[in-house]
Amino acid sequence: MSAQALFTGFFGVAAVWFGVVVFRTSSMVRSALALLFSQAAIGAMFLAMQAEFLGVLQVMMMATEMSIMAIFMVMYMMDPGGLGEMEMTHQKRASIAAGALAALAAAGVAALTDWGPAAAAPPAAEQTERLGAEMLGRSMLIFETAGVTILTAMIAATAVAIERRRRR
Amino acid sequence: MILAATAILAPLAAAALILALRRLPAALALAGTGAGLAASAATLLRVAGGASLSATLPGLPGLPLRLLAEPLTALLSAVVAVVGFFVVVYAVGYMEGEGGRVRFFAGMSFFVAAMQALVLAGDWVLLLAAWELIGLSSYLLIGHRHEREGVPQAATRAFLYTRTADLGLYAAIFVLVAHAGTSEISPTLQTGGAAATAAGLLLLVAAMGKSAQTPLQGWLQDAMVGPTPVSALLHSATLVAAGAILMIRTSPLLSPAVLLLAGLAGGATALLAGLVALAERDLKRLLAASTSAQYGLMLLAVGAGSSVAALVHLAAHAAIKSALFLGSGVFQHARGSTRLDRLEGAGRARPRTFLGFAVAGLALAGVPPLSGYFTKDAILAAAFGSPYAPLLAPLALAGTLLTGAYVARALGLLWRGAGAGGPVKGARWMGAGLAALALLAAALGLAVPPIGELLTGQELPEGALATVAGLAATLGGLALGWLVPEDRMLGPLRAPAERGFRPGGGLDALVARPALALGRAAARFDDGVVHAAVLSAGRAALAVAAASRLTDERGIDALVLSLARGTRRLGGRARELQTGLVHRELLLAAGGAALMLVVLTIGAAGT
Amino acid sequence: MMALYVALAVGAVLFGVGLYGALSQTNLVMIMMGVELMLGAAMVNLVAFWRFLHPETYAGQMFVLVVMTVMALEMAVGFGVGTARFRAKGSVEMEEARELRG
Repeated sequence: MSAQALFTGFFGVAAVWFGVVVFRTSSMVRSALALLFSQAAIGAMFLAMQAEFLGVLQVMMMATEMSIMAIFMVMYMMDPGGLGEMEMTHQKRASIAAGALAALAAAGVAALTDWGPAAAAPPAAEQTERLGAEMLGRSMLIFETAGVTILTAMIAATAVAIERRRRR
Repeated sequence: MILAATAILAPLAAAALILALRRLPAALALAGTGAGLAASAATLLRVAGGASLSATLPGLPGLPLRLLAEPLTALLSAVVAVVGFFVVVYAVGYMEGEGGRVRFFAGMSFFVAAMQALVLAGDWVLLLAAWELIGLSSYLLIGHRHEREGVPQAATRAFLYTRTADLGLYAAIFVLVAHAGTSEISPTLQTGGAAATAAGLLLLVAAMGKSAQTPLQGWLQDAMVGPTPVSALLHSATLVAAGAILMIRTSPLLSPAVLLLAGLAGGATALLAGLVALAERDLKRLLAASTSAQYGLMLLAVGAGSSVAALVHLAAHAAIKSALFLGSGVFQHARGSTRLDRLEGAGRARPRTFLGFAVAGLALAGVPPLSGYFTKDAILAAAFGSPYAPLLAPLALAGTLLTGAYVARALGLLWRGAGAGGPVKGARWMGAGLAALALLAAALGLAVPPIGELLTGQELPEGALATVAGLAATLGGLALGWLVPEDRMLGPLRAPAERGFRPGGGLDALVARPALALGRAAARFDDGVVHAAVLSAGRAALAVAAASRLTDERGIDALVLSLARGTRRLGGRARELQTGLVHRELLLAAGGAALMLVVLTIGAAGT
Repeated sequence: MMALYVALAVGAVLFGVGLYGALSQTNLVMIMMGVELMLGAAMVNLVAFWRFLHPETYAGQMFVLVVMTVMALEMAVGFGVGTARFRAKGSVEMEEARELRG
């Protein structure tokens, strides 16, 4: 087994484990933190797979996002501390079945397909340059669209969240 | 021929106009019959001397209608036209102030037209049609005042009696036409043998019905409930003459056996009807019985072999009898009834009317030089000269005797007694008609011999014995009637004579009641069976309709409704998917995405 | 090559867990967390495919950036809606959200 596979596997397992913790714990803050660690593990996986830019980006973004999520959770949850021991799930069996089914299907497809030979990794510096060229060249439209979409989403979220002024 | 046809068409047009306009009925009737009279007279002049006119009209296939104006028919047409005209003149006065004038004058005009068609007919079909039409007119005119008691029954009886006898005419025509192959009258008169005898007998039956001979004489008495002009025109001079006319026209056809029968029937009627006339208590019924008797004498003359004697007597009798009826009508208006006990002395109160009446009466009795004398003389001579003289002559003499007797009786009743009576409306018109006909009654005698010879080419029979015996009978009868008191007349025969010598309950029981019973049975059948059948067919149709409606409602409607309900239920089930719960929706979304993925994979794998 | 399989397996399991969470949680924020996990799994797969199968094509990395953007957007709009809902109803529990029942 190559080192790459090992590291990928390690961080992968960590991501999965933290992911499970997200839903098993009853404390909201712990859920948020677990999710943070899960996403960070995913970022680490990116790094292990030599997608450095993406890995760093992922870790940075997720850190911020999860913090905000934690704040919102505390705001809106009935029992943020998780001390009440309430059952917070429904249609459990259907969900487990769905999840298991999806995982098995994806894994099965992954295992059974002949992916062909692996390719060599590109050098790191060249990666970023190439990514930039790609982004500003061929995928410019996607980028622009993404930017506009973000703007729209910001405005939409703000508009939805503003408290309606009552007119007398 | 148009001229002759005008005799038919002018009164017919008058009848149509009266019915259409409903105004001036009297004037139109006068105009129609007057024009008919002119046309008839002109035709008579034309054909005098043996000429003949004819016309053919389209009729049934193979049986065209023919009009024939030869001396015989032209004379008859003239008789009908003259009497018709003067009776209408009289009727103008008679009907003054009465109701239903439109109906009356239209009926009279129509009758004249139909009678003219009958006498001028050249083929059997037209003759038969006219025969029926005069029967119809008689029914309508007798029943003119139908709201009065007994009048509709009398009209129906007259119609049924004559109609029953008409069956003889139908059968006779059938035999003759089948035998001769054509419906024209003249050729069919050449038929001989058994067919001729059969046809002759049947014709005799029809003639006896129409001319009110024994045993069919009952209807004429009862027909006197009609208005007096109707009695004068129809039931003395023309309609009842149709029977005699038939006999006269078909006399070449009749075999000796038939002739004998005719003679006997006529003679018997002359006797019996004369007795009835002696017993009658009503003036018009007396005259009706007298009519039967006189036509009996005519039939006797035909039976004796001299149709020309019958013909001249017919002409004379037409004038005489209608004059007598017209006079009786005046007395009726004066005293308000025709019963002899009410009319006593009416003659004394109205001398001019009585004069006309008396002249006509004496003419009937056969007093010379009035017309009746000549014609009676001819009949008696024929009777004495015929092969069956021992049978016919006594009957003829008895008839003559009785004629004198009842004439004298009537005159006596009218003259003797207190003269009184109210004023009579329309006396001038009535008087004019009466006067004209009485004059004819008197004067026609002068024309009798020429008429006979010129027109028919036959000689009038003459015989010294006949003349003497006839005069004796006439005068004897007159004396008897005048001198013998009322209650002594006829003695034991009085009661049956009053009843009119009706055989076995009369033809009422024999014919009319069965016919009416049959009618009632047919009506019951119709109501019960036919009606029920039709109604049940209707009900069946309704049942079918109800059943189809039921099928539609239960079957088809139910089907459609269940379809709608099923769709709604399905929609309800589909709605249950829309719970609005987020987790469920997410589950569904996940399931749908998986499905789509599978489909796409399979699709991609396939290509 | 082995790494590829490992990465793919991890991605599959992560996706399963995320789906379980999205379907079973009653709270809106928890549902969003499940979605985040699913998107993360997708990203893992994408990077694996890029690295081991097509390293010369940077469209794969572009795709990953897009997914990241989607994650951010989803969170933003989701929290906005949650805020509005909290203000209207006083909670963000999805069990009580029956207004769209059809």
